[in-house]
Amino acid sequence: MPIIVNLDVMMAKRKMSLNDLSEKVDLTLSNLSILKTGKAKAIRFTTLEAICNALDCQPGDLLEYKENEKKTTNR
Amino acid sequence: MSKRNDFVFKGLHIVAWIIFVGLCIEAGGLTVNFVFSLYKPEFVQNLYQKLDLSQMYALSKWAFFSMYSFILVISILKAYLFYVVIMLIFKLDLSKPFNTYVADQITKISYYTLDIGIISYIARQTSKNLLHRGFEIDHLNQFWADSQAYILMAAVIYVIATIFSRGVEIQNENDLTV
Repeated sequence: MPIIVNLDVMMAKRKMSLNDLSEKVDLTLSNLSILKTGKAKAIRFTTLEAICNALDCQPGDLLEYKENEKKTTNR
Repeated sequence: MSKRNDFVFKGLHIVAWIIFVGLCIEAGGLTVNFVFSLYKPEFVQNLYQKLDLSQMYALSKWAFFSMYSFILVISILKAYLFYVVIMLIFKLDLSKPFNTYVADQITKISYYTLDIGIISYIARQTSKNLLHRGFEIDHLNQFWADSQAYILMAAVIYVIATIFSRGVEIQNENDLTV
């Protein structure tokens, strides 16, 4: 998927563990892991708001759009 | 899940088992008869459920074996169909029914039902053809009387299977929404 979740980068910047974040945003560890590993299909605005609040960042810091390699080579 | 649903589901499970056992007995009996008829042709006049195909056997062995093959294949497919139904009911968790196994099994059921319907239809047309050639086929009609019903049922089950597959996709998407 061309949308990349940079949750681990932001967590490292804020020096926050997955357990701490899980407690702060009231999400299960498995759900956070799904988000961190990029397996998630969608993210709720409420979840995004909670994560941004806990990590003191913007949604753009967490999500990044990267074009597919195939599409880039076709051009 | 309500208690009534649970009760109905258990009832269906028992009914499916009873039908499966009955169909297995029928398929087994017909298979044993078939093997016997290969080696002992005099057995042909007293087949499963007093089926007498001696006249057909005397007139044409080819006709006898082809018609008997149809009967055998249909009965085995019916037994296997109910085996799939039983496995589906056994593994189905009504609190979380949308998974790939259930969707695959329902699709499988629709395919087997269609197979039974088509084979029954071909057998019925073949037996009608044999009737014009002077064969007695009245007692065989019981084996493929419901061919059109099976084809219609296959179509309905296929639609349900397609809806179920979409349900599985939605469920997976929902599971991966954080």
